[in-house]
This record gives sequence, structure tokens and C-alpha cells, in this order.
Amino acid sequence: MTRKKYKQAKPLLFDRLFPPRTMMVGGHTVQKPRSRAWLISIVLLIVVAASVMITEFDIGILIKRGHQLWVILAKIFNPKWEYFSKVVNPLLDTIKMSVMGSVIGSLLALPFSIIASANIVKNGILVAIMRVLLNIVRTLPTLVIASISALMFGLGTFAGTVAISIFTFGIVSKMMYESIETVDMGAFEAMEALGSTKFRAFWSAVFPQILPTYLSHCLYSFEINIRAASILGYVGAGGLGILINDRVGFRDYEGLGMVLLTLFVVVLIIDNTSQYLRRKLS
Amino acid sequence: MQTTLNPIEAMYDNRPRRWWIYTLIVLLLTIVLGWSSTAIEFKGIASKGAEVAYGIVYGIFHPDTNLLWTLSPDGVPYLLLQTVGIAVLGTLIGGLLAVPFSFLAAENVVPKWLAFIVRAFTLLIRTIPSLVWALVWIRVTGPGPFCGVVTQSICSIGMISKMYINAIEDLDTKILESLDAAGCNTFQKIRYGILPQLYANFISTIIYRFDINIKDATTLGIVGAGGIGAALIQCINSRRWSMVGAFLFGLIILMLIIDFFSTRVRKRLARG
Amino acid sequence: MIEFIRTGKTYPNGVRGLDDVNLKIDQGEFVAIIGLSGAGKSTLIRTINRMIDVTDGQVIVDGVDVMTLRGKSLRRFRRRIGMVFQSFNLVTRSTVIKNVLTSMVPDMNFFAALFGIFTKKQELSALSALDKVGILDKAYTRCDQLSGGQQQRVALARTLNQNPTIILADEPVAALDPVTANQVMNDFKRINQEMNISILINIHHVDLALEFADRIIGIRDGHIVYDGPVKQVTEQVLDSIYSGAPIPKVTDSVVEDESKTTKPMNASATKEVLP
Repeated sequence: MTRKKYKQAKPLLFDRLFPPRTMMVGGHTVQKPRSRAWLISIVLLIVVAASVMITEFDIGILIKRGHQLWVILAKIFNPKWEYFSKVVNPLLDTIKMSVMGSVIGSLLALPFSIIASANIVKNGILVAIMRVLLNIVRTLPTLVIASISALMFGLGTFAGTVAISIFTFGIVSKMMYESIETVDMGAFEAMEALGSTKFRAFWSAVFPQILPTYLSHCLYSFEINIRAASILGYVGAGGLGILINDRVGFRDYEGLGMVLLTLFVVVLIIDNTSQYLRRKLS
Repeated sequence: MQTTLNPIEAMYDNRPRRWWIYTLIVLLLTIVLGWSSTAIEFKGIASKGAEVAYGIVYGIFHPDTNLLWTLSPDGVPYLLLQTVGIAVLGTLIGGLLAVPFSFLAAENVVPKWLAFIVRAFTLLIRTIPSLVWALVWIRVTGPGPFCGVVTQSICSIGMISKMYINAIEDLDTKILESLDAAGCNTFQKIRYGILPQLYANFISTIIYRFDINIKDATTLGIVGAGGIGAALIQCINSRRWSMVGAFLFGLIILMLIIDFFSTRVRKRLARG
Repeated sequence: MIEFIRTGKTYPNGVRGLDDVNLKIDQGEFVAIIGLSGAGKSTLIRTINRMIDVTDGQVIVDGVDVMTLRGKSLRRFRRRIGMVFQSFNLVTRSTVIKNVLTSMVPDMNFFAALFGIFTKKQELSALSALDKVGILDKAYTRCDQLSGGQQQRVALARTLNQNPTIILADEPVAALDPVTANQVMNDFKRINQEMNISILINIHHVDLALEFADRIIGIRDGHIVYDGPVKQVTEQVLDSIYSGAPIPKVTDSVVEDESKTTKPMNASATKEVLP
């Protein structure tokens, strides 16, 4: 019987700098790796200290002016009901932007995520480049994209929709290529064996496997997008954000409260519906 | 005429007809999409729009190198570090504060009614966009990075406690039985039975949230809560493209680095 | 008719998967290919429909040299050859009939294939393929609700729906329990006799091979060490194929699906003892 050779785990940098202690226990040699806890604690301490300094951390202010918070919060939780009529339209705008943005972003994400999947596209360089590009798109904060869009396309919901599409594109494509790589390629192989082109084999054999995951990711991004869309108005990209900017400017916290309340209700409904649908998909 | 259909034809005739469900769904989607597309009034790319696009591309490839390499508080490195600092503290404080919240909201720890109230409370915190929180907190702390820290702490509590709660509810309590049998007191049971199960999950959550907070800290800067966001937006609005390019460049590099490390650490945590 | 003329396959890492293979298989034969894991059984079968390219010699199927085909001609060639896999390779979330219908996809126009719109004639043909393997009643159930044996029959029906002249089977019963394995082998036998389709089966379990096939081909280290009728297979023959290792039977535990690992085993691996 041949003996199995167990591959030694590659030594980590830490273990090379601080070699493990060798101990003799009952006649056998045991290698105990040195504890990392102390290194991590020191690093953490330094990082926290640096952060405290650079952010001008000042608990004093909180103590002194903390009561202000309650004043404001009290007003927010006392919403101005008459204000609702002014909230409706921007609210609908926000929802429309989210829907369109999510749909466009998700549709665009699919072909790109396929190119970024190592099991479908065999060209390693192409996959790597695509992934870097997708990562870069993901790193841009939505508000930054929104303000640039607002400059390019003028104020209003169009800019917001563009921003949301780009944002959705970023997160859905990453989730998708991670899912595509876990797909069972067996049926794909079978289709190629019976004379199908790669594209049709993908469509008939791989796509049905990822479709539920794809829809689930789209719904999830829609949940996130409602929240994101609500603040885009702050930079002029339409929706509730304009109202928020507005009310805060006038110190009208009761009005703000109304806006937030409607947002809360809508988010609640959408979240629950989305989670229900996502559970049915899996 | 056949009095008995052959079994194949019989099977075909009895096939489930699902096409009307699909048509319904397609119809529904078309209506929703049609309604939503009214939000897209393409006023045409504003005449300056193409300028803007060009300016940004130009800016990214010709970043203002003075800004990139300076150590002054207006420069890219300082602002990036400030942004990181805001995210670090915001995540850590939020993560710590979230612990008691999530235990109080876990149905296997406290009675259902209490859990429900606490959860509703965290849901409230989560729904108020961080931008709004920042605007509120500015009245308390004044503008600046500290406002960002406080805002992020509160907002992080929202998402982190949601994930903590999941971890807590998945706890395997059988280990408590064996610790009990070995004669441990409550503190020891928590320390050796519960904490090891939660530890890896908590850390992973915190790192995940840190990732998100870096982006968020940039956004908060726009309302004056410190970090690179404020400078970025100002330059965008005043069309100083090279400066915009510098900031974007630094921001993208920062995020790629952090993304890279956080994914690696989280993978190692998951695999152990 | 399938002909191998001095066929050889060298993998990129230098390993010789097949060496100087010379075979002639007539239409309608039921051939079982046996040998140790990594001996070259999978390689041999996959050269026929060019899932694997040969590096030396020729493989000629019905008068066509396989290596001259490319693109469209290769796809059309594959239409006439059916393949059955060890892990069934079905789209498990789809219904049985949808899986059988995928065999018609290469012949359909773009939009019909895109939206999965099949004509009544296509559906009836798929249903009769299911009937031939005796699983008609499950036509509209999802594949993941079926047992292993039933799934393999669906895979077989999918192949039959192509109206192939040759069926290649790569360890089709390795993942099935002995009773079901017997049923599926019976199906193969019936198809071979009723429809005169050539059947080449890679099989791990020698007792099944001897029971159902007409002709046995034994491979060892990429060479053909035996090629002849079942009746002439003796203990000595089996020894030369298995190099003294214990001869696998259908009652052994389930065998791992080797086609899922793309690395070819090197020659020394054949000295290993089978589980």
C-alpha cells in the first residue's frame, strides 16, 4: 500500500519571523506556533491611537452638547403629518430611480460577470483585468457618482438613475462571478458533447443554475438601492434627498421626521417583500 | 378513431401549463418598468456634460501630484488617513456597542417581547440613512471628523447587531452541557463555550462593516463630517479636475488595498 | 464503424495517455472497456467524439477522420454520437423533459433556443425517448427529486433523443447501487439490440462487463492488452489487465468520478491498489 504524502502547509511570514517553539511531549516532537495575540493587540492599539488623534476625537463635546441630540430627536419623532403631500412625489421618484437603476445595473452586470468567471472564460489575463475593472467600479461611493452625474446630465432623477445603475452594476457583478464559479459544469460538458455551441450550452445548462441566485442578488441590491436613492437628492440627483437637504437647512425637524417616517415604512415593505421572494427563490 | 390514447400522447395532453404564470409575471414587470421609466427624462447631456466627462478622465490621468504627495491637512494622504481613522473608530465603537444590543435582541437569550422591541429599535437606527444621522449629529458635535466617528458608530450598530444576532441565534448550546458536566460556573461557560463560537463571526462582521464604512466615511464628508469626501465634492463642483483626479486616484487605491486585505482576512477566518 | 489506427495521446505534461491503439468496432457492437483507474479508458472513449484530441495516429468514425473536423462540422458530427456520464450531468433544477429536450437545442434557431420554445413534435419525441427507458411517468417532475438510477435513465433518454448511431458511456453505473446498476445495464443492452446502436461502455465493474457486453477491450497503461469476445476472457486475461490487483466487482463501494479531475494520472499510479 503506498503511503499518502501530506503536503506541508506553506510557512507564513509571521512563523518565519518568529519560529514556533519546539517541545518534547511524551517522546514526540510538537511544534507550537507562537501566539499572534500580542502582535495584533499592539497593532490595534497603535491604529486606534492614531485614529483618535487624526479624527480630533473629543468626548467632551458629546457630554456638553449631548442634550441637543434629544431635542432634535424629539422633534423628528414628532412628524408633521400635513407635510405628507409634499413627500409623495419625491418618494415615488426615489422608488422609480431604484427600480430602473437596479434593473439596468443588474442586466449590465450579467455579461460582464460571465467574462470575469474563471470557469467559463479560460483566458486568465482577461478574467483578471475584468475583475480589477469591476472592483474599481465598486469602490466609487454612490454619492460621488451621483454628483458627477448631476453635473453631466443636469439635476434630476436621470442623474440619480445613472448613479444607481453604476452602483448596482458594481455589487451585482461581484456577487455573480463568485456564484458562477461554484456552478456544476457537468451539464455544460454534456451539452458540448452532444454538439452544442459554447453559448447555447451555457444558456441551457449553466444559466438555469444561476438564475435563482441572480434574481436573489438583484432583489438584494434593490433593497440597498432604496436607501441609497433616498440620499442622492442631497447632491441634486432627485428623490427624497432633496427634501432632506431642504428640511435640515430650515431646521424643520418635524418635517424631516415625516420624510423619514415615509422612508421607514417604504423600506419596511420592500425589505419584507424582497426577503419573502428571496426565500422562495432558494 | 382510437378509443385509448397511447400513453405518450396522454402524457403530453396532461402536461402542466405554466405559460400563463410567466405571461403574468412578464406583464407585471413591464408595467412596473414602464412606470419607473418616467423617472428617466433624458434632458440630453448638458452642454457642459461632455466637458465634465472629459474633465474627469483628464483629471484621473493627470492627477495633481502636489496634492498626492503632500503631508499637509489638505492633501490626499492626510485626508485619506483621516477617512480611515473615522472608519476605524466608527467600526470599533459600533462593534462594541452592538454587543449588548444584539444579546438583548436574540430570541434565545431574552424573552420574545424584549427581543422584538430591541430589534425594532435597531431597525429604526438602520433605516435612517447615515447622511441624515450626520446632519443631526453635526448640530451636536459641530462639523469635522469627530462627527463622522459618532455617526458611523451609531450606523454601524444597526448592521453589525443584525449580523451578530444571526450568529447568536445559531449558537450551539450543547457545548454548555458538557462544560456544565465538567463543573464550570456561568462565567467559565460563557468564556469557553459561547465566546469561541462567536469570536470568529464577530471579527468577520466587523471587518465587513469596516469595508463599508470606508466608503461611507467618504460620503459623510460631503455633509462636512471630515475625511476626503468634503474636499472631493468641492473640487467636483468647482471643476478643478486635476484635484478631483488626485482625490479619486487616492480613494480608489485605498479602497482596492483595503478590499484586498479584508477579503483575505475574512477568508482565513472562515476557513480557520 | 469506429477505427483506431496507431492512435496515441500524449498529455502536455508528457504523460502518455494512449499508446499505439489499433481497434475496429463495427456498427451495433456492445463493447465494454475495462482496466484500472487511469489506465486510459476515459481517454480512449473521449477521443471518439473529440472531447480529447489525439496527438498521434487517427481516429476514424463512419469514414470521417475526427481530427479534420472543426467548429460547425465538429458539432454536427457530435450530434450523431451520444454520451452518458458517471454523474449524469443533468440540469437538476429543471424538469426531466426539459433535460431531454436540451439535446435538440443545437438544431434550433436562435430565438427558439433562447426562450426554450419547443414544438409539439419535439415534445412528443422527447416523451417517446423517455418511454423507451421506462420513465415516462416522471416526465414533468424535477430531476433533483429522482433517484440516481432514474436520473441516469433521463440522461440515457436525452442521448436517445438525438437518434445517435453510437453511444459512449463513461462509467455510467459507477455511482449506482448494484440493483439499479443492473437495471441500467439492461437498458443499454436493450437499446443495443433493438435499435442497433453501437455501445461503448467504460466500466469499472468487471462482473457487469462480462455479463452484458459482447466484446471486451482491456486497457493497461494506455495499451490495449486484450481485445476479444467475452467468452474468451479468462482469469489470466484479467490478471494481465489488472496487474495482479483485486478485480473490481459491482458490489464494491461507489467509485469516485475521475472525469471531474482533469489531471491525467501518471503511469505509476496504476500500481496503486483500488479501494
